[in-house]
Amino acid sequence: MDLLTVAVIGGLSLGAIYALIALGLVLGFRATDTLNFSHGQFMLLAAYLTGKFKIMTGLPFWIVALAALLIVAAVGAILYRGLLQRLVGLPHFIPVIATLGFAAIADGIMGILFGAEQFVIELPGIPDEHIVLFGARFAAKTLILTGFGFGLALLIAAGLHYTDLGRRVRAAGQDPLLASQGGIHVHRIYLASWAVSAALAGVAGIVHGSSTVVSPGMIELALLAFPAMLLGGLDSIGGALVGGALVGLLQGFVAAYLGGEYVNVVSYVALLVIMLFLPEGLYGTRKVTRV
Amino acid sequence: MTETALQTPPSWKVARQEFLITAGAMTAVVLVCGVTTGSFTIFVVNQILLACIGALGLNLLMGTAGQVSIGNAAFLTCGAFTTVLCERAGLPFPVDLVLAMVSCGLFGAAVGLPALRIKGIYLILSTMAAHFLALFAAEKYQSAKVGSAGFMVDPVFSGSLLFVQRGWSVLLLAITLVVMLAVNRLQTGRTGRAWRTIRDREDAAPAIGVHTARYKLLAFVISSAVIGLQGALLAHFSAGVSNESFPLTVAIAAIAMILIGGMGSISGSVIGAAIITALPHVTPPLVDSVLGSSVSAQYAAQIALILYGTLIVVFISYARDGVRGWIIHLAAWLSRRTTQ
Repeated sequence: MDLLTVAVIGGLSLGAIYALIALGLVLGFRATDTLNFSHGQFMLLAAYLTGKFKIMTGLPFWIVALAALLIVAAVGAILYRGLLQRLVGLPHFIPVIATLGFAAIADGIMGILFGAEQFVIELPGIPDEHIVLFGARFAAKTLILTGFGFGLALLIAAGLHYTDLGRRVRAAGQDPLLASQGGIHVHRIYLASWAVSAALAGVAGIVHGSSTVVSPGMIELALLAFPAMLLGGLDSIGGALVGGALVGLLQGFVAAYLGGEYVNVVSYVALLVIMLFLPEGLYGTRKVTRV
Repeated sequence: MTETALQTPPSWKVARQEFLITAGAMTAVVLVCGVTTGSFTIFVVNQILLACIGALGLNLLMGTAGQVSIGNAAFLTCGAFTTVLCERAGLPFPVDLVLAMVSCGLFGAAVGLPALRIKGIYLILSTMAAHFLALFAAEKYQSAKVGSAGFMVDPVFSGSLLFVQRGWSVLLLAITLVVMLAVNRLQTGRTGRAWRTIRDREDAAPAIGVHTARYKLLAFVISSAVIGLQGALLAHFSAGVSNESFPLTVAIAAIAMILIGGMGSISGSVIGAAIITALPHVTPPLVDSVLGSSVSAQYAAQIALILYGTLIVVFISYARDGVRGWIIHLAAWLSRRTTQ
């Protein structure tokens, strides 16, 4: 019973991070049809900046984190404006390679700026206690962060569904031509989508960094979110949440019952299985190819 | 790809000309370096030749057949570990190269099977998954047998440093030329035509008699076998194999090579392999002369990474025909100038 609890809670806490990452990936994908392979760099940048600013300035966590997220959002906007905007409409692999190149540049710059420094992100106002749930002990921090992750992802998803701005974002993602005819400034929407996508990656990075140590290993987490994104459907906003939770749970169970070393492999096998048998995911748009 | 004149299928004459020029230039450079320079420069040249083999293989799959793969490092791992298995079974040097090609060809077929149903973005993700699965298997095997230090592989040449590098240089040059010739024959013949049809108009290919599934699989098998050959040679060249030598960045570098050199061409593979492989060696002295030695000692690796990323970004945005495209434009411009 306690192993089951560990699997479920551990899985959901991962799932919250995957939901945030996948939501960001989906926003970028809907905007410019780009599968972003530099999403992990956004995560790492936000976590690094938060840690660095905190040490440099000593300001309260919330201000520091907000500043870091604003910078990351700006970098996301630059990535769209400077690079991805001119690659819209080309075969899919071209923007993918572009984001890989951007990732290399970001890795190099972060290597120079932050080097081998290690940062610990401390969250204020969260009790450093442990809670016993169904026979297993958990840090209160883990539970609060999980709730926060899912809460934020739900909030963003709800915002995209029910607000006017959200409707514009969805319209621009669905059919740029019709949307622009309807008076939506498509480029501005895409710019905002990329900024929000990067900021969401940043939140995921800070959340993950606060539960471990900030290190370049975080980047791999963004690759592991691809199964989640695919399971939900590449272009489905709600699907990102469900996919993130499910993949997180899968990893939680694998970690609890098989051992941590199998987590990545099982996730990538899941990716292959989803791709072959459910290519449009749970909620994605079915694309018809006539042959 | 773009609809420039560069992308139209080359007639076999043009392709043969390009092959002869590339092969001639490469042979000349390798031989001159082999005779006149020290062992370190020859070492870098050998690294470039190794990268050439893999780039030629990947370019066949990605440039000619249009199947995007970031599974290069997986095939390198497969080739290198086949060499390890052969050596542990007591098989001598050239035999393991053949077996590595066979095993990687089979692995390539397995990775290519999903490509019959999926394409584009999905293929990129599935080859990425294949990468992590192959590396997991390699890591499991390695930690069960020898631990994290990795396997030792018998050297092919023994003697002084200079002699060893010169020996490799000749061997790798010969192998690269053979691979180049094979790729040239494939690209100019019926197979190449079928691949380009699949790349440019996949839905129309069956209508003109191209067996899409068969040719896609063939592209995966041949490309993987060639990359596996590189992996096996790499194992001997570096006298050791570890699962840690094949991260995803290796696969990305291979894509960068064919992008920067020129997709779907022999000369492009060679030019790109040379640029990307030489970059980390050229950057430190360059940084040294521009920014001073203290900066270069500390940040040369990072600056090389930034330059590498910048090259990818610039070529993908402004020059998707690669350096080869520039050369062709330049030649066309020169010939216009002289005829006027």
